[in-house]
Amino acid sequence: MNAQNKFISRAKLADWLKELSSRFEVWAPRKEGEGARSVVVYRPFEAEKGLELDRKPTESAKHTMFPRSETLFNFRRNLVEGAPSLELEEAADPAPRLVFGLLSCDARGFQIFDPVYNGSGTNGQAKDTYYLKRRSSTVLIVKSCSKVLSTCFCNWVGGGPASTEGADVLATEVQDGFLLTPVSERGAAVLDSSLLAATNSDMESAAADSQTKAAAALPAAPDLKESQSALLGKFDNAAFWQAESSKCLSCGACTYLCPTCYCFNISDEAAGYNGVRLRNWDSCMMPLFTMEASGHNPRTPKMGRLKNRVGHKFSYYPSLHGGRIACCGCGRCIKSCPSSVDIRRIVTDAIGFTETVGLKEQNNG
Amino acid sequence: MAIQEQLKKMILDVLPDVDCVIGWGPGPDPLRGSPFFMRKPEDVESFMAGPMAVQNPALFLPEYKGKKVGVVVKGCDSRSVVQLISEDLIKREEVVIIGFPCDGVLDVAKVENALASHGEPGEITAVEFSGGEVKVTLAGNTHSLKFDDVKADKCGRCAVPNAVMSDFFAGIAREASGVKDDYEDLAALEKMSLEERFAFWENEMSRCLRCYACRNACPMCVCRDHCVASSRIPHWISQADSTRDKLMFQVIHAVHLAGRCTGCGECQRVCPVGIPVLLLKRTLSKGVTELFDYAAGMDTESKPPLLTFQVEEATIKERNW
Amino acid sequence: MSVLNESNNGKELRIVGFLCNWCSYGGADTAGVGRFTQPTDLRIVRLPCSGRVNPLFIVKALLNGADGVLVSGCHPRDCHYAEGNFYARRRLEVFKRLLPTLGIDPRRFEYTWVSASEGQRWQKVVSEFTQQVHALGPAKFVADAPEFDVLKVCAE
Repeated sequence: MNAQNKFISRAKLADWLKELSSRFEVWAPRKEGEGARSVVVYRPFEAEKGLELDRKPTESAKHTMFPRSETLFNFRRNLVEGAPSLELEEAADPAPRLVFGLLSCDARGFQIFDPVYNGSGTNGQAKDTYYLKRRSSTVLIVKSCSKVLSTCFCNWVGGGPASTEGADVLATEVQDGFLLTPVSERGAAVLDSSLLAATNSDMESAAADSQTKAAAALPAAPDLKESQSALLGKFDNAAFWQAESSKCLSCGACTYLCPTCYCFNISDEAAGYNGVRLRNWDSCMMPLFTMEASGHNPRTPKMGRLKNRVGHKFSYYPSLHGGRIACCGCGRCIKSCPSSVDIRRIVTDAIGFTETVGLKEQNNG
Repeated sequence: MAIQEQLKKMILDVLPDVDCVIGWGPGPDPLRGSPFFMRKPEDVESFMAGPMAVQNPALFLPEYKGKKVGVVVKGCDSRSVVQLISEDLIKREEVVIIGFPCDGVLDVAKVENALASHGEPGEITAVEFSGGEVKVTLAGNTHSLKFDDVKADKCGRCAVPNAVMSDFFAGIAREASGVKDDYEDLAALEKMSLEERFAFWENEMSRCLRCYACRNACPMCVCRDHCVASSRIPHWISQADSTRDKLMFQVIHAVHLAGRCTGCGECQRVCPVGIPVLLLKRTLSKGVTELFDYAAGMDTESKPPLLTFQVEEATIKERNW
Repeated sequence: MSVLNESNNGKELRIVGFLCNWCSYGGADTAGVGRFTQPTDLRIVRLPCSGRVNPLFIVKALLNGADGVLVSGCHPRDCHYAEGNFYARRRLEVFKRLLPTLGIDPRRFEYTWVSASEGQRWQKVVSEFTQQVHALGPAKFVADAPEFDVLKVCAE
């Protein structure tokens, strides 16, 4: 990459996103809800509804690439006398998208999706074309974090507040705008706009400063290389999982806010002979996730569900994908958990750390 | 913290006779407490009561049916326990109820909102309660908030600060504030036209993730893994991510709670995307109070009004056409 | 009968009726046998008892495009199952109060009692309720209701 860094002031940001809207379906974070109920969500960009770039988004940007509910195809039965036929209509290819202002952890989340959906685990046999079409046509402009929350732990799992992994452009807040660093060719291409200014050395050093400061603000990370074997070792330890899951409600808040939870379910919705085949988010915290056609459900206790979620991220996935942990450390599952279940605590308990690095005194219930 | 110490002593006394005692303990950061299951005497050391005792521990009781458990309850939580007993969803003799006078609990979202201009609420490093104040340390600076401004909405209209039923009670029962619940929370919605209300729900529900935290956090939602929301026959809700289906679920939840909801507000508190789902249940509670002069969870002997009837209903006007 | 329908440009609206088998369904039959003219907007679903009416039937209909819902059962004290309509009365009265909060006009839903012999009364109930719903016009539809909607299929 030899493209130049650029600068966009906050005042011109909306104009730039509007300009990009002619080429892309632009998504960006905005505030919704009233007062204390307000949250920050990723929505298709609408200038008049504003942007929210100061608070960290409540939800991950996962749905920009992997919709909550996606039409795979429509079906219709033609009842012609003597020769009834079934008509299938495939979903149209997605329009190119650009997501502005997702966090480094969100972008790294898609890297955890990739090996599952691009066929690399099956010698190219099982490719998910729906995901891959979106993935290849989406540009990700990552906003580096200047603030570290008590629930942030991206550094535990190989990330950082200004990680460029998975990003096309990195935006770092400086002065009254953002310094834009192209990371990929695609990213460099979107920085070709007259609304963007050249950078100066003050900006460059301020950006570097803020990135270093945020990285330093993260508590030291414990070594999780033993999580794979430790969680497998605890697989049959019912007492351990009982204790860890006592307070879990078995709701899907953690999975649906998670940037790396990629499970889905496929179902048909029909009226009469016509309908649609849908792919929806699924969650291993829900009872139907493991429900079998016979009506038998092998995973009824909630501890089995929580064990699957933690085990999958920190043990089973890494064992299939070169040791990479399927968690990006965004901490949303901790921050938004109704019962304050802390995934960090479960993993460190499983490994058997007596004093957990980076975790303040807390009880896990 | 005399009451907290008294409670700890009571829990230690109860512990040998029960599977566990459910209360509150520290959470992942100083602003968040957590439900806390005490099984060993040494667990009791971290027990916390007071403004951080946010969650409703009655939620977990039906899971322990058949075992004896202890539960520490605020006034509102005790109403859930009573309602569960009156519906025979838990057995009175299987639960040891420990009450204390509650001064109200913190609304984490309100604290975060009040301090939003001072930094990310997740950066909060300390929270202290003294008198009517909450002292919150964020990004190195300490901010003082009035507790009344950041306590949960339900605490402002609370008529039962003490457990309505308990085996043990720590401290001296607190006088209720005497504030009458005039359903002030519904006022804003009632000011809107019907069209505006419909648009309001469309907008709010469009954000719903379908995580069902509202359902799973509800102590009266006892169907658990057998919710009608996941039924295909009948097909109450489609699998599509549509606002209509998501609103339909909220109506299901509200209708199933009519005359049973004790107003603990957990459904709304736990919503990760801030949807005011309690409004629907409050509407029905208001209706049930007006029609049948009934409040759920006050008395184990009373019958929920929709499970009984009178031949001549004094408050229901028959239509004449 | 088409008089009422002129209020909606001659179009019928969709009104769903949940009728108990023993009284109101018989009443509707009596009205038919007696050749009492009635508006034709009502689609009847026969149920064993008004006590069988789950409020969710009503909201499901309303959110899926019904313009009105009418529940009718035996008169109080006349229930075939002795007390089904007593429970229904309480349940439906409470439920009616939820509709305004949802932004649905509560006049789109009524419940009433019609016995099997009351053909004329049935005619009056249906006519008045249909008029009431026509006065409100077609119900608003949820903005993002999906494409495979039953209504759209039925309309084809």
